[in-house]
Amino acid sequence: MEVPQIREVVLQAIERINLARRPKDRLEVSANAPIFGPGSGLDSLGLVALLIEVEEALQDAGHDVTLSDARAMSQTQSPFRDVPSLVAFIASLMAEAR
Amino acid sequence: MNRPRHILVTGATQGIGLALAKHYLQQGDVVVGCGRGESTLDHPHYTHACLDVTDEPAVRRLFKEIRSRLGCLDALINNAGIASMNPIALTPFETAQRIMGTNFLGTFLFTHAAIRLLRTSGSGRIVNVTSIAVPLRLEGEAIYAASKSATATFTRITAREVGQFGITCNAVGPSPVRTRLTESVPEDKIEALIARQAVPRWANPADVANVVDFFLKPESGMVTGQVVYLGGYG
Repeated sequence: MEVPQIREVVLQAIERINLARRPKDRLEVSANAPIFGPGSGLDSLGLVALLIEVEEALQDAGHDVTLSDARAMSQTQSPFRDVPSLVAFIASLMAEAR
Repeated sequence: MNRPRHILVTGATQGIGLALAKHYLQQGDVVVGCGRGESTLDHPHYTHACLDVTDEPAVRRLFKEIRSRLGCLDALINNAGIASMNPIALTPFETAQRIMGTNFLGTFLFTHAAIRLLRTSGSGRIVNVTSIAVPLRLEGEAIYAASKSATATFTRITAREVGQFGITCNAVGPSPVRTRLTESVPEDKIEALIARQAVPRWANPADVANVVDFFLKPESGMVTGQVVYLGGYG
């Protein structure tokens, strides 16, 4: 799976998460949108819900990826801070798996 | 639910785990069991995976298989446990690591993987097995009790984190049950423990199953973060 496809999976997962959120709490759906930390209304439990959505979509596409990382809650180093960092993190996990 | 429940039991090769696997098969559920050894259980709705609960790649393979075969999981029973009753001063570091690994880290690893599949159930259940060794604070059982204490705390925090997915997480703390684990403890020591119980008798696997049944009931959706000890401890 290439970066544009991974990004699409992430954006679709954000859209699905948004369906369960109040309009004022919905997350931005764009290629550079923040996910977790400054500029995002997502708390840690909301982040878990989003990442599980992403994992399931990746598994449906045949990629067994687990999105766990010790830096998850870091304001500066979290791979989950925005869409580009999450996409890059998933791409690196897939490269490792290969 | 108009299909059999899908229940995963760790440590299903013997003792309480085996009894729970048989109990749920008798109720018509589909049971996946795992343990380090082969299973003697032969039932069309039972599948067994030989693995160590601390072997992360093996655990991931098991969940991948469950996902492709069953689609979702309705209950995870983290039962696998080991013990080595020794004073702290006589306990090798490797033994302490092994006990914490199986009793606590195994519970973490299975919970971590199961959240994904339990979420799909709509009313997922996690039941962890702790021990009356926690409230009793018995000398000679420090590592075992600490691992079960960790499991009890883990249960309460897991309940808070998975509630958003409609999943509950509770624990049962059996009083002494005749299993290979209690065989290693001198009979007089166990009898002294039982004498301190409000209900002074050996527990049966059915006593444990009764508590697990309660946690698994659809009506128990508001029961979470609880630890129930058998025999009147707590």
